[in-house]
Amino acid sequence: MNQASSQQDMTSVRQDWVGVEFDWATFEMKTDEMIEWARACGETDARFLDPGHHDFQAHPGFTTHCMSGRVLPENFPKIGGGFGIDGGKRVEVHAPIRAGDVLTATTTIADIFDKTGRSGTMIFIVQRMEFRNAAGELVSTVDWKMIKKAE
Amino acid sequence: MSTIYKFAEVELGDELPNETPDVSMAKVTSFCTSAKHLFERFTDHEAAKKEGFPGAIVPGIMSQGLLAAMIHKWAPGCNIMSIDTVFRGSLLVDSNITMTGAVTDTDDDEMTAELDLSIIAEDGRTGVIGTAKVQFLS
Repeated sequence: MNQASSQQDMTSVRQDWVGVEFDWATFEMKTDEMIEWARACGETDARFLDPGHHDFQAHPGFTTHCMSGRVLPENFPKIGGGFGIDGGKRVEVHAPIRAGDVLTATTTIADIFDKTGRSGTMIFIVQRMEFRNAAGELVSTVDWKMIKKAE
Repeated sequence: MSTIYKFAEVELGDELPNETPDVSMAKVTSFCTSAKHLFERFTDHEAAKKEGFPGAIVPGIMSQGLLAAMIHKWAPGCNIMSIDTVFRGSLLVDSNITMTGAVTDTDDDEMTAELDLSIIAEDGRTGVIGTAKVQFLS
């Protein structure tokens, strides 16, 4: 595939898939798991360790472990090689997550782009999970960058 | 200044005290249990080698958690508004890793600070780079 047609493909994939919502799941925030996570990370702030603290809450990145069942939408085109590697995560904390909260997560394709460097062209697929509590309040957004090598 | 209690104490260019977090097998296994990420490449050196790693590796999401804990230690009571990490290379379980951070921007009106973050592996490679935005209440 030449560079021009590859670019056209990427443009078309972006147009068709960016913004598509493709998965929904619920997750219960459990006190013991919130504490064990914070403790394993070396946390020292009682807000994240002591369930008796008036502001007890989940560690900022706690929602990053909430994996939905599906990584990509059904019928998503095969772009790049292999399953992809984890390129990193961005977490935005909108409000505290409390013990016992049941969060509803919706997953969308937030972005698709490519970058070319010394090791060739890499394709980035950004999967966004938005977590809302029972009151419908957005509490956390997690962007996960999946990186695949262009074929 | 090693510990920050108020926004007025934050200066552009301040460096967070370096930290060498505990990434022993016991700690990583505890993290993986809480995260339900009990994969052998994180919790078993020999199994990780069979997957092509030099040994068991620290989960990327744990490295982000370690950096968040470092920020809270530097500025107790601050709120992390966002944290963005890029996983550039593997960090090995049972190794000595070093976390660094520095203040790259401040906003007096919002009482926020932006930080550059990194984690250096025992052999000197950069395993994780990132940024964070934190807000102070006073």
